[in-house]
Amino acid sequence: MGNQPNIEALNTGEIPGVGRIQRSILSVTRAMNIVGSLLIFALVVLIGIDVGGRNLFGIPLSGVPEMVGLSIIVIVFLQAPQALQLGRMTRSDTVLNLLRDRAPKAARLVETLFDLMGVFVFGVIIYGTWPMLQKAWTRNEFVGAVGDFTAPVWPVRVAVVVGSALLMLNFLLHIVNRWKGARHDTV
Amino acid sequence: ADYSVTAAAGHPPVFRWVRMFPDSFGPAVNKHLAGQGDTLTIDGQFGGAIAGVGEELETVGAGLAEIGTCQSLFDPAKLAVQNVTYYTPFITDDTNTVAKVINDMHRDDPRMTAAYEENDVVYLGAPIIIDDYLLMTNFPVNSVADLEGRKIAAPGAALNWLSGTGAVGVSGNLTTYYNELKTGVYDGVIVFASAALPGKLYEVAPNITRAGMGAQYAGAICANKDWYDGLPEHVQAALKAGADEAMEWYLADLNAAVETSFAKMQEAGATVSVMPQDARKAWADGMDNAAKSWAEGLDGQGLPATALLGDYMNALRDAGAMPLRNWDQE
Amino acid sequence: MTPFDIGLIALIVMVLLVLAGLYIPVALMITSFGGVWAIKGNSALAVKLMALAANDAIANYFFGIVPLFVLMGFIVAETGMGQDAYSVANAAFRRIKGGLGVGTVAANAIFAAITGISIASAAVFTKIAVPEMIRHGYSPRFATGVVAGSSVLGMLIPPSLLLILFAILTEQSVGDMFVAGVIPGLLLATLFVVGILATAYLAPHRLGNISYAGGADEGFGTLLRQGLPIVALIVIVLGGIYTGFFTPVEAGAIGAIFALLFGALSGKLSWQKLIRILIDTGLVTASICLLIIAAQIYSRMLAFSGLPAGLAEFTSSADLGYWGLMLLYVGVLICMGMILDSSSILLIMVPIMMPVVTPMDINLIWFGIVTIVAVEIGLLTPPFGISVYVIKATLDDDSISLVDIFRGAFPFAVLMMVLVALLLFFPVLATGLL
Ligand code: NA
Ligand code: NA
Repeated sequence: MGNQPNIEALNTGEIPGVGRIQRSILSVTRAMNIVGSLLIFALVVLIGIDVGGRNLFGIPLSGVPEMVGLSIIVIVFLQAPQALQLGRMTRSDTVLNLLRDRAPKAARLVETLFDLMGVFVFGVIIYGTWPMLQKAWTRNEFVGAVGDFTAPVWPVRVAVVVGSALLMLNFLLHIVNRWKGARHDTV
Repeated sequence: ADYSVTAAAGHPPVFRWVRMFPDSFGPAVNKHLAGQGDTLTIDGQFGGAIAGVGEELETVGAGLAEIGTCQSLFDPAKLAVQNVTYYTPFITDDTNTVAKVINDMHRDDPRMTAAYEENDVVYLGAPIIIDDYLLMTNFPVNSVADLEGRKIAAPGAALNWLSGTGAVGVSGNLTTYYNELKTGVYDGVIVFASAALPGKLYEVAPNITRAGMGAQYAGAICANKDWYDGLPEHVQAALKAGADEAMEWYLADLNAAVETSFAKMQEAGATVSVMPQDARKAWADGMDNAAKSWAEGLDGQGLPATALLGDYMNALRDAGAMPLRNWDQE
Repeated sequence: MTPFDIGLIALIVMVLLVLAGLYIPVALMITSFGGVWAIKGNSALAVKLMALAANDAIANYFFGIVPLFVLMGFIVAETGMGQDAYSVANAAFRRIKGGLGVGTVAANAIFAAITGISIASAAVFTKIAVPEMIRHGYSPRFATGVVAGSSVLGMLIPPSLLLILFAILTEQSVGDMFVAGVIPGLLLATLFVVGILATAYLAPHRLGNISYAGGADEGFGTLLRQGLPIVALIVIVLGGIYTGFFTPVEAGAIGAIFALLFGALSGKLSWQKLIRILIDTGLVTASICLLIIAAQIYSRMLAFSGLPAGLAEFTSSADLGYWGLMLLYVGVLICMGMILDSSSILLIMVPIMMPVVTPMDINLIWFGIVTIVAVEIGLLTPPFGISVYVIKATLDDDSISLVDIFRGAFPFAVLMMVLVALLLFFPVLATGLL
């Protein structure tokens, strides 16, 4: 965890030079995380109502499979930035840890390169999703079947763009804090 | 020249509309190209290898595959008017007629193909026709009244067919029908014979009722527009001719499969009953006119849905179909 | 360079990047981007592939339920229901060396009858079992290894999404596939138990430093009170599935609702705790699903390279006779399992193998079980072992590395190979109940 930013410290502004931008990135990241969590709870309620309604009253809730299918993307992209922030994104750091011990500077360079790769791939996803978002909005794209249930697709595309943008920002924060932290260590 | 293309399908090759690529479309196109010294090589990426069910249109439109199965049933937002058959049940169980009418409309009517162009694809042909939808239930059905309070699963667009029956319509899909019928989550499903046999649904829902809900159109072979537009004319012609032959192959294979399906399901102990005409009529009469609200909804988005609904119904009536309800004339 | 070569290079680069410590989703996506660009000669297509997969690949009901099963497991763990269950198990198995390991396998076998996906088993038992086993002196490596290994039971004991997929691909009866999975599933659980007991008695240090006599003899009443909630939850969920009240897909949500009720009634679940559980569920879901999206992107890139199809063609055309073919087939499945997810492997291999094995007059149900066990080994093998990744994501403990978990899971992968061998020699194990 040594190279992950200390969230408590960031929130209280204890790391010198941590500005308003960092704090706002972190609070937006946390807010998205909470929205995603509430969405999970909403899914539980939705399926509960569907199962209960179908069996007890003969009135199923229309569109539950579609809503669950759309929601999972929203959940993933809203929560992924916080997962990254808290060091919960999957990686195998055995080799990296060895490098950190033996050649801290080289390790910092490698990790910076890795963070830049993260910035790149989520940039690519935004770049490719943007036209999909426009299309979903202007053409009223939906899932489901007319007459039964339909739900618009654009909120999912928005979540992918917002989530990816936050992921990029958090990767960049890693880089900034890593070099700042390093300067701090050597002082 | 050799034209190497990638074909995308979300379904695996056990499905006839996927087998159509290696078994008919590919060889047929090559036959038509043979005279000019050209060949077509198809790299089949099926079963979701590069696109899931309902993602094919986007994938072909994006150019990741040159051809694919464009599924209007699973992509109703992009291919909206194409779903006209699912809003007009109880017209005909004749797969050939539905295939011909839909294919002709796509060939002759630019209002039908506009949706493809907007998504950067071209309609090649070989409509994916679904054989007559049936009721398969774990209880016998003699009249519509028997459906009262029963949980019946159907694909989304077909849920409208249960309106007025008193049945509890549940949105379901082929992959879980067997298991859900077995445990009793559903008492029955609306499904077609050519899928019911391989899915062994007769084991868990042995009462098969032919109510004449009708044959449907679910999709077709489409091609990436930029790629297609860049082809020499004779290659374009060969692709369309190949699609025409694939359509013949598909229908012949489907119709044979429907017959064997009924025979085999009966052999396995299922009861097949034909719902009498007056009971069918009572069912159709009790339904909401979903076609009307569907078409008006699309009209509101600037699509010529009411006009196409009328054209489709007229074409079917001209072909000799006897609709139980004239959805377009109410 | 042919697309095939590019596929191979992308594979090697991905493995190297993962080993070097790049985030795994990023490693999968960046090599896919480069791979598609190189194969198609067009960067715009690589962008579109990534965007389409990110937006659509997991946008369906079956992936949508991942967070619900995770949530159920977390509530069970956080409200102490899981800990109570382990106290009961510990009391019951106290005199057996490795007893809690055995208990974890048994609990997973029961949970397998509720869930259709292994991801759910892995997430749930990481939360419930791993802390308890570590608390009782087991080594983290063994504790996570047991959970990874027994999570595969989720896909073998019905209901199972993989069994359904195979039935659809080969037009077999889902019911027959489910019945055929029962004995191999129980046999695998038995193999795991035997393996754990053998280790506990022959090389106990490998399990950690277990305190056998831990805890005083609790009264029967206490044990009953502790064990009852979890038993009730299992009965409700299992009963609901098998009476048709809800589907296995819906079971996660219903299980979560009842776990919430139990938690609230026992006063062990406050609003604050619930919110913390929800947030944790979200974080685990995000890391797992981001991995699955990235794996989908990667598998689409590989599809374009023709690498998996080439491997499948090679297997199906190899003229080796029955035993040669089966061994090659199983070997290829295990190799593919290292880098691809289970359903992709089935979708690639099965349609190509069907025309080859059908004329051999073998039982296709048996063939399916062999296939699924071999494919499931891939859940435990590096570099892409989804069960191991799920455990890592759920643990949130930096002192236990991915390598530790892969090592802990390895003996269980070996036992799965033993099961494959048994199935090859005694097909009746799969077909006996049919
Ligand atoms: Na299971
Ligand atoms: Na693996």
